[in-house]
Amino acid sequence: LARGADVDWASDSVDPGETAGKTLDEHASKALLKRYGIAVPKSRVVPADLSIVHDLGELEPPLALKVIARGVVHKSDVGGVRLGLLDANAVQDAIEAIRGDRRIAAGAIVGYLLEEMAPKGHEIVVGGLLDPRFGPVIMAGLGGVFVEILKDVAFRACPITESDGYDMITGLKGADILAGARGGMRVGIAPLIEALVCIGGKGGLMMDLGPKLRELDVNPLIVSSDRAIAVDARVLLA
Amino acid sequence: MTSIESAQAALARYSPLFQPRSVAVVGASPNGSGPGNNFLRHLRAYGFAGEIYPIHPSAQTIDGLKVYPALDATPQDIDYAYVAIAAERVPDVLATANGRVRFAQIMSSGFAENRNGWELQARLVDTARLAKVRLLGPNCMGTHSPRGRLTFVENADTDLGPIGVLSQSGGLSIDILRRGQIRGLKFSGLVTLGNSADLDACDLLEYFLADPQTRVIGLYLEDVRDGRRLLDLLQAATGTKPVVLLKGGRTRQGQRATASHTGAMAGDDRIWTGVARQFGMALVQTLDEFLNALLGFQCLRPNTATTRRVVLFGNGGGTSVLAADSFGALGFEIERLKASTLEVLEGLHLPAGSSVDNPIDVPANALRMQDGRVVAKILDVLLHHDSVPDALVIHINVPVILGYKQADILANLIDVILTLNARISTEVHLLLVLRSDGDLAIEERRRRFAHQAIGESIPTFGELIDAAQALSAMRDYERFLAKIATGCDAF
Repeated sequence: LARGADVDWASDSVDPGETAGKTLDEHASKALLKRYGIAVPKSRVVPADLSIVHDLGELEPPLALKVIARGVVHKSDVGGVRLGLLDANAVQDAIEAIRGDRRIAAGAIVGYLLEEMAPKGHEIVVGGLLDPRFGPVIMAGLGGVFVEILKDVAFRACPITESDGYDMITGLKGADILAGARGGMRVGIAPLIEALVCIGGKGGLMMDLGPKLRELDVNPLIVSSDRAIAVDARVLLA
Repeated sequence: MTSIESAQAALARYSPLFQPRSVAVVGASPNGSGPGNNFLRHLRAYGFAGEIYPIHPSAQTIDGLKVYPALDATPQDIDYAYVAIAAERVPDVLATANGRVRFAQIMSSGFAENRNGWELQARLVDTARLAKVRLLGPNCMGTHSPRGRLTFVENADTDLGPIGVLSQSGGLSIDILRRGQIRGLKFSGLVTLGNSADLDACDLLEYFLADPQTRVIGLYLEDVRDGRRLLDLLQAATGTKPVVLLKGGRTRQGQRATASHTGAMAGDDRIWTGVARQFGMALVQTLDEFLNALLGFQCLRPNTATTRRVVLFGNGGGTSVLAADSFGALGFEIERLKASTLEVLEGLHLPAGSSVDNPIDVPANALRMQDGRVVAKILDVLLHHDSVPDALVIHINVPVILGYKQADILANLIDVILTLNARISTEVHLLLVLRSDGDLAIEERRRRFAHQAIGESIPTFGELIDAAQALSAMRDYERFLAKIATGCDAF
């Protein structure tokens, strides 16, 4: 794998300084989140040069396959994401389809991230950045149209307490949606707050990396009735 | 250092600023035309009792005061120097302080607020450090302190009050003081900070947090140099004093180059809104809202339970409906009264046109029953039956009441309200709205009654939205105190 895809944040031997000034790809970003206690889908990386996928290993279908390619940020825009794969054959077909899609240059592909799909839930965005006045700040909001169009998000300075996390979520204009308004799913507030505190709390990711972390997007964090799981993530180092 | 020690240190450090024994003025001229001459006039009119030293290279006397050629040529050390001369001359004058000037406030502009002024400001700061002077400004207006009889505005109120204000704008601080005192606000002090080249908002915030005279703090900020220190100070203060924040420039486009969703969302407005809520600052949008919130905190103490239910009482049908809308829009509940309370109110046999359910609308011809004293009975029922609210807002249309000439009904109404206030539960906020039409004679009477009520700790406003804004800031403060008290145990 090329540099960037193989940074193992889960291992203590990696010094964040080595990767300064760059974007961590999805796999490395999730490994970093996992290290701070945020649940991520169980996954494995399929190298680009592997010719046949024989089995799914420990992964429980349905699975998602996402391309890891140099210069590709919005994977789904270029056909680089395939969902709902039920067995090794389906994974193999999906890899062939991505290889054959001319929107991604063949030489750019370094591998594929194969991961379990999160259970159904509400999409939450969680972010972090280094503010020039306040230092590390954390953001939370409802995902999808709520963040894109309505910009329904809340910021707090890190470190946040559980009570701050609760206040961020209940203060959102769309908070009722998380409480199951109009027959929707009622999310588990506890796992959501726990994820916010893992990222923005005392000893959490933001405080621990401090000025080394420039920006963080967890989009989406899928929150169901009993768990919160980071389905996509991107970390920009300072 | 413990927090008590650091509070004592902050009080001692800034005492010469708020209670100077000696004031030097640089920028007054013998012919009376300099900006320093105005300051001298305001200072003396305000009753400053310490030594005043005009500084001028050649004059003998200015406005009858003996003049000194340099800051280190005065008989005593200088606690506070007011400097209003051309920017490029300021460093040379400050260099003559030689450790004998504690605080110098630099009114002059032409420093870092201009593209070409950064170098001059750096020279100013270096000079001040060498001469052991702490700087306020440059590009500001002055310091106002009733305790020290120090001011920079004309006809300033000499009453000492609980409101301490820090302002990064000089001009706006004149509005805050003058419009504020007309509305009944009483100040413990106000400092304009301008470019904050040396002392900044956090330094003076530390003083106001420590100062026992200051119970509520108002901040006008456009930006802070060290936001983390601001948050640390607020955190350490644990909500002991309400802080009202008027934040200028919130819609300014960020300069941030961003590569993430989060970065794209991180406007000034959203981040300040978040930290204000997190650290218990009441964030307001306008100068009037700022003054309304400060007046509310000047008069009222927080309820133990967060304010939610409001009863409105006054004359004017449309006004009552709009009032209910104003309070409702800010999240208050204008609940119907309980049947048992309504029954007692109906027993008072108010004239037709009265509506005894909340919002209670009693037309002027009913208010004047028993020359206005019927109001006492209504309010008594509201506060002693089973519909007791968290806040009672009384509104009176002053010109309508003054239209009834046979008795001084307005004075009677005010009497009733003051008597009620003396007996009311400390867990019910009482707010008064005296509405006027702007007629000068009416406005004058209105203001007299308003100041009388404010003197008895009833926050009194000109319109219902003003009272709603003040109560909203109080409610947010109560909620913050509750959050601190319960910590993470809230769920």
